Order: sequence, then structure tokens, then C-alpha cells
Amino acid sequence: MNKRTLDQIEPDNSVKVLKVTGRKSSRKRILDMGLTPGTRVDVIRRAPLGDPVEFRLKGYNLSLRKREAETILVEFVGST
Amino acid sequence: MTEKITVALAGNPNVGKTSIFNAITGSKQHVGNWPGVTVERKMGKRVHNDVEMEIVDLPGTYSLTAYSLDEIIARDFIIEEKPHIVIQVIDATNLERNLYLTTQLMELGAKLVIALNMTDLALAKGDSIDISKMQEYLEVPVISTVGSRGGGIEGLLDAVTDELRKTRPTENIFTYDAGIEKRSGEIETILNSDPYFAHYPARWFSMKLLEGDESIIKKAVESDRYPEIREVLDKTDAYSLESRIADQRYRTIQTMLRQVCNINTNRLSGSDMVDRVVTNKYLGIPIFLSFMWAAFELTFSFATPFMNMIDVFFGWLAEAAANAISIPWLASLVGEGIIAGVGSVVIFLPNILLLFFMISLMEDSGYMARAAFIMDKVMSRTGLHGKSFIPLVMGFGCNVPAIMATRTIEDSRDRLVTILVAPFISCGARLPVYVLLAGTFFGRDAGLVIFGLYALGILVALLSARLMRSTVIRGEDTPFIMELPSYKLPTLKGSAIHMWERGKIYLKKAGSIILVGVVGVWLLASIPAPGSGGTFASGEIYGTTNSVIGFTGQLIEPLVAPLGFDWRIAVALVFGVVAKEIVVGSMGVLYGAGEDEESLSNILAAGAMTPLAGLGLMVFTLLYVPCFACIGVIKRETGSWKWTLFQLLYGTTLAWMLAFLVFQVGSRTGLLA
Amino acid sequence: MKQDYGNREMIFAALSGALYTIFGIFQIAEGFGINTGMPEMIFIPGDIPGGSCLMVLGAVFLYGLKEMLQGINAGVSFVYVGILMSLVFMAVYLLVMGGNMLDSIIVPEDYEGWNIMEAFRPGIYLGFLPLMGMLCWKDRFSLHEVLVFREGA
Repeated sequence: MNKRTLDQIEPDNSVKVLKVTGRKSSRKRILDMGLTPGTRVDVIRRAPLGDPVEFRLKGYNLSLRKREAETILVEFVGST
Repeated sequence: MTEKITVALAGNPNVGKTSIFNAITGSKQHVGNWPGVTVERKMGKRVHNDVEMEIVDLPGTYSLTAYSLDEIIARDFIIEEKPHIVIQVIDATNLERNLYLTTQLMELGAKLVIALNMTDLALAKGDSIDISKMQEYLEVPVISTVGSRGGGIEGLLDAVTDELRKTRPTENIFTYDAGIEKRSGEIETILNSDPYFAHYPARWFSMKLLEGDESIIKKAVESDRYPEIREVLDKTDAYSLESRIADQRYRTIQTMLRQVCNINTNRLSGSDMVDRVVTNKYLGIPIFLSFMWAAFELTFSFATPFMNMIDVFFGWLAEAAANAISIPWLASLVGEGIIAGVGSVVIFLPNILLLFFMISLMEDSGYMARAAFIMDKVMSRTGLHGKSFIPLVMGFGCNVPAIMATRTIEDSRDRLVTILVAPFISCGARLPVYVLLAGTFFGRDAGLVIFGLYALGILVALLSARLMRSTVIRGEDTPFIMELPSYKLPTLKGSAIHMWERGKIYLKKAGSIILVGVVGVWLLASIPAPGSGGTFASGEIYGTTNSVIGFTGQLIEPLVAPLGFDWRIAVALVFGVVAKEIVVGSMGVLYGAGEDEESLSNILAAGAMTPLAGLGLMVFTLLYVPCFACIGVIKRETGSWKWTLFQLLYGTTLAWMLAFLVFQVGSRTGLLA
Repeated sequence: MKQDYGNREMIFAALSGALYTIFGIFQIAEGFGINTGMPEMIFIPGDIPGGSCLMVLGAVFLYGLKEMLQGINAGVSFVYVGILMSLVFMAVYLLVMGGNMLDSIIVPEDYEGWNIMEAFRPGIYLGFLPLMGMLCWKDRFSLHEVLVFREGA
């Protein structure tokens, strides 16, 4: 399987969340925002300066810094 | 006989909670702070069906963990104050994530009424939602509303009063997997046996304990039964449980959503189209900067006539008052002290109102989140959040509205740091000082010198932010997890209310501090110095060596002598605290040039001051104690004299050190001599 | 699906893009003190940041043109957003103009030799073109669901 962290995924690709690691407080918030295991996430675009990155999940748009995206383990689904 | 109840308004950020609040309460609202913190607390009143409701607007939150101050406030209010009804405002175009908060509000045992807001947008987007089915599923009244146009508010309030009469047996329960349920059951049994916990909803409390919520564990530790609770907790793994609980909540929501609505996901929405442009790799930053420039131009150009009007009016008033009063000292106090002081407060009002009107437009439309998204990389280098960028830019016009604009920053530490460094951004009032001095000493290079000062201000602000973030205001960088809400048309009413609130806060809270400061300086300038024979507040005393201020200036001369300043500059700098532009005027008086700037310039160039001291003075003016208006808002926005004093000391020390460096290094190396 | 958005959008993007860019360049040049001879004719003031804003608007239109020429339908977003942005700037300049007029009444001594036409910036008169575009494609800007362009690409 194609396991990677979310920050490595290029825009216009979709992934499925496998696991959220990382510091307690940010992990909790990431889970609360709906990045629970099994959720499909589309990578939309990077900010003009390369960071943060915009994602789409559960019908809304979310942005994370690469540092936060690094803590999310994902599986590649396909390109959008 | 009307019944009095408390209704809390909860919901995610960006769901139109404020517009619902405005629609319910109309103009009957007031803004204060939550006890002990500077998070805003809005309350309003409304009488409906003979029930007097006190509506409390809770901070917008995505969840009720202890992640942020906002969440703790919202959650503590519901647990501790036990409002009769909690209205949750839900964005109908974004049900899944919004309902996540619903699950938690239900576990809290709150009597819930759901305002399904923006149903018009959901319809337009092609979604269909079966409200009666949703109501059945959640066992909670669901009312469709359109907050921006005040639609559905009567129905919502009817539901609130109906719900008041109903007695619901228990809180609606979301069931988790067998493992979680077993542990939670065990803890609940312990909780129920101890009256200490009777105040809290047992199920919610036990779930929070299982999730390892620190503030809840802290509460539990105080109970005698804590060892037993600990025993159960030790058998579970909070780390994996956290993820399982979140996952199962979302799963339950998905199951329900499949039955109650049909969401159209298959289209590129208008928001996506706008984002393609405004966050474009090449155009995003230029577009952002051009918007900033437009906001800046409008705030400061459009405000000019209104500021001049205020200026003319207070000038006339001061003169009229001075002429009408025959006692000279009283005339001076009223004219030059109080009226001029009030004028110096009111003069910023046009700026503040306009700036907040525009900030409100940017926030309500959704662009603010994009601005933070675009600029975050720059700001993260200093340990700040992308949202700190806008207040700092606004500081170029005036630091006062800039500091007030930091309210858009959620994290309290980021906000504090932004407030403390904002005064280093060179505001418009400092420009006259630069123009005079740079023009006098640097001739053709004046533009470059002035540009350099602006750059120095930015540099000092950013470096200070980094420094403070890694020393006095430490703590890990706030994680950047930000929703990019879909764009909406801001309503004129909403923005106007926001603007008016800010104006009121400024006049009421900051105004009093400013006024005291201004009158204080007037007194210092008017009281004859010990030993001098002049009369109080007479023309020959005011602001000269014969006044306390001039006397003090001579006393502190040794302190500023290493910077190449004499006592006159020391006095001018003290006056500068009233407002920076006064520095030039008082130097004119002190050097005997009067109001005429050209003759002042000639006097200075003729040797009254060296170019190096001039440069040092500009640097000093940039960084030292900001004006009273600014001090007033720093106090008001940080809620602490300690931090206000810190800013003053830090800035002045830095100003002294840099001016010292300029003067000493310059004279040693013979530069500019 | 290519060329769903007809030539009208492309011509509009080319025209607006070119106009805003050219006027922006003139305005910046004037700001640097280069005499272009234009100010007397069409009220182009010397204004570096203002000129840069005009150029940004021009760039938005031209970027959309580029994408549409490449067959990317979503490129039309740039045209619509460009229209909205131009109108925002038009409104800003109109307000500033109003402010200047008011100010010239309050403190006439600061405005000696000032002519109202000095405030009639390119940002205002160029704005009539996007205004026409907005009216022409008004079905795309639904006020009900603001900024949501129906049947986007």
C-alpha cells in the first residue's frame, strides 16, 4: 500500500486518512475537524508561498501548515 | 408576569451566529468581556411569548474540548451557568462538521434547539434537507433560518419557549463501541455515587475523563473517589480512544445524514472559482496587497475630511471656551487641556470606524481567512499566525485601530504579541517628525531615510515578535488549522453594527485613559517649576524651563545626552506622548522658532542639532513610548497594566539603545559629521 | 467541452486586461517622475501603489485570457473575479473622490489650484468597462447566492 503523510501529497490528488499522530492538542483539533480515519481528503492547492496547504473534506475547505499535515498518515486514492 | 431565562447561542465559527444574534436582539445588546479574560462576551435581551430571554453569544467553536480559550469559555458557561436553552446555529451547507458540535452539546445535557441557518444557500447549492426527519432523528427541534435577512427568527424563538415547557427524560445519547461504553459505564457508576460530581452531566464527564481531558481530570482529582476513577482510566489508552470517539461521532452523523439529506457535491462552486483567483500562485499576493492598499487608502484618505472637521470643530470650541473664561489658568486648562484632549481622542474615530467597517466586510465575506492563508508563511517565521499580518499593516496608518484589529486573532498569546509589537510600525503621525528632520539634515536623500525608518519599524516589530515568542510569551507555536469558509455577501447592517461597537469601545474605554494622560501632561507643562516665580498656566510658563516639564527635561538631560539630545528634545519627546505630531510643534516653541517649520529647520541646520542626533531622534521617535491613544488601547486590549508597562519599557529601552548606537557609532567613525 | 465560454469573454478579458495594464504602467511611470504626456489628456496621476493596483487588475484579466486560450474553462473565473475587483476599486476611488471634495470645502487652503478632475482617477473611468461586463453577464452573479457563479466551469 501507498502510505504517506499528507504534506507529501501534490495538489489535485485524493487520499484517505489512516491515522493522526502528533502532539496532543493539535491532534485533537485535527480529529475534531473531521480528519478521522477513513475520511477522504482532496488536496486542493498550496498557498502562493508554498505553505500552508488547502484541503477539501466533508464538504468544506480546511487549511493546514505542512507541519500539521506531516502528522497525518494517509493512503493514496487517486487524482481528481 | 414574565419569566426570565438565559439562552446561550453556540455554533461553529462562520455559520452566521452573529447575524442570528443581531436578528434576535436587535439593538438591545451590549459587549463586555468574559470574566478574567479579554475574549469578548456579547449579551442581548429579547421578550418573546411573555418570556424574557437573556441571550448570551458564546464564542464560535468547532468542538468543546479544552483546545482553545474559546472552547473552555463556551463549555464552562454551559456546565457552570446551566443556561435554560442552548441554541446551536448550524450552517446548512456544511452539516457534517457542524453536527459534530451538536453531539457534544447533547452529551453536555443541554436543552438544545437547532437553528439551521443559510438554508437558502443550501437550496441554491442543490442540497435537499428533510428537516422533520432530522428533528425526529436528533430528538431536538430544528428550525430553518436565514439569519442575514432575519428569516425564521420568530419560529426559532417559539421553539425556545416550547422547549422550556417540555421535560426531556435524559440527554439524547450517542452510543459508542462496546469497549468505550463499558469503561464509561464504570466511571459513571463512580461519579453517580459521589455528590461532588452531581453538578456535572455524568456521561459527558466520564467521556471527557476517558479522552484524557486535562481540565476535567483536574476537577476529578479533588474527589475522594479519584483513585477508583484512575484505576479505570489506567485500563484504557486515551490516545487511541480519542481518535475512536471522534471517529464514531462522525460515523453516527454520517448515518443520519444519509437518511435526512441529499448533498450535491458535484460542482465547482462560486467560492472555488473565487479561490482559484485570489489564492493563485502568482496573483494571490499581488491581489492581497492591492486590497490592503485599497483598504488603507479608504481608511486614511476618506477619513481626512471628517478628521479635519473634528479638528476645526475642537479648535473652534477650545478658542471659544478660552475666550469665554476669564480666569487664565482655567481657560488654559479647559482649552488646551480638556477640550484639546477630548479632540485628540475623537479625531481617531473616523479612522477607527472606517477600518472596522472594512475589516468586518473582509471577515464576513470570508476573505480574511484567505488573507491569513496567503500571508501565513511570512508570519510563521516570527512565530505568529497569518492573521497577525492585517493589524500590522493597518499600523502604518495609525497604531490605534491596528491594535484594536487584533481581535480577529483567536490565540491569546499570538494576539498579545501582535499588540505589543504593533506600535513599532511607523504610523502616519510620526511622518511629520521624519519630514522635518530628514528634510533638514539629509536633503535629497530624505526619501531614502524615511523609507529606511519604515523598514526599521517593520524589522523591529518582526524581530521583537520572534524574541517575545521565544522568551516572555513562550509556548509552542499555535497549530495552523483554519477553515476556509465559503464566500458570503456581507450585510451592511452587520458591518455597521460591528463598526459602531468598536467605536463605542474606543471612546468609552480607551478614551478615559487618553484624557487623563493628556490633562496630566498639561498640568506638568503649566505648573511653575520649583523656584521660578511665574504664575500657574500662564503663557510664559507653559512648556518652558520655568514649568515642571521643562525643569524635568533639564533634570533628565544627562539621560539623553549620550544620544546627542539636549533638554529641549527631552521635553518635546514628553509632549510627543500626547501625540507624535506634537514633537515638531513643541520643538518649534522650545527652539524659539514658533509655529514656523522652516525657521525651525534653519535653526537646527545651523548647528542646534547634529545630523547624527537628528537621525537618532527619528529612530527614537519611531520606537519609544507610543501616544496616549495607543497606550489606552494597549491597556484596554491586553486588559493588563503589566503588559502595557512592559511595552512602554521595552520600546523606550530599544529606542534609547538604537539612538545611542546611531549617535555613538556615527560620531566615532565620523560618518555624517 | 472546450470553448464553452465564447469569444465574448476572451475579447472582454483581452480588452480590460490591456487597458488596466497600460494605464497602470503610465501611472507608475508618472509616479517615478517620467513625463509621459498623458496626465493632461486623460487625468493619469503619478501614483506608484495605485498604478500597481491597476496592473494587478490587468494581470487578473490577462491570466484568465491565458487560461481560456489554453482551453481551461475555469479560466473564466478570472474574468468574473476581475470584474468584481475592478468594481471594488471603482467604488474606493469614488469614495476617495467624494472625500477630497468634502475636504476641499472644509480646508480650502490645502486645495488651492486643485481641480476635481484630479480625483477622477483611471480606476473610476476604466471601471465602466467591467460595469458593462457585469450587466452583460449578470445572470452569472446571482445575488441570492452571492459570488456563486451559476453553472461554473
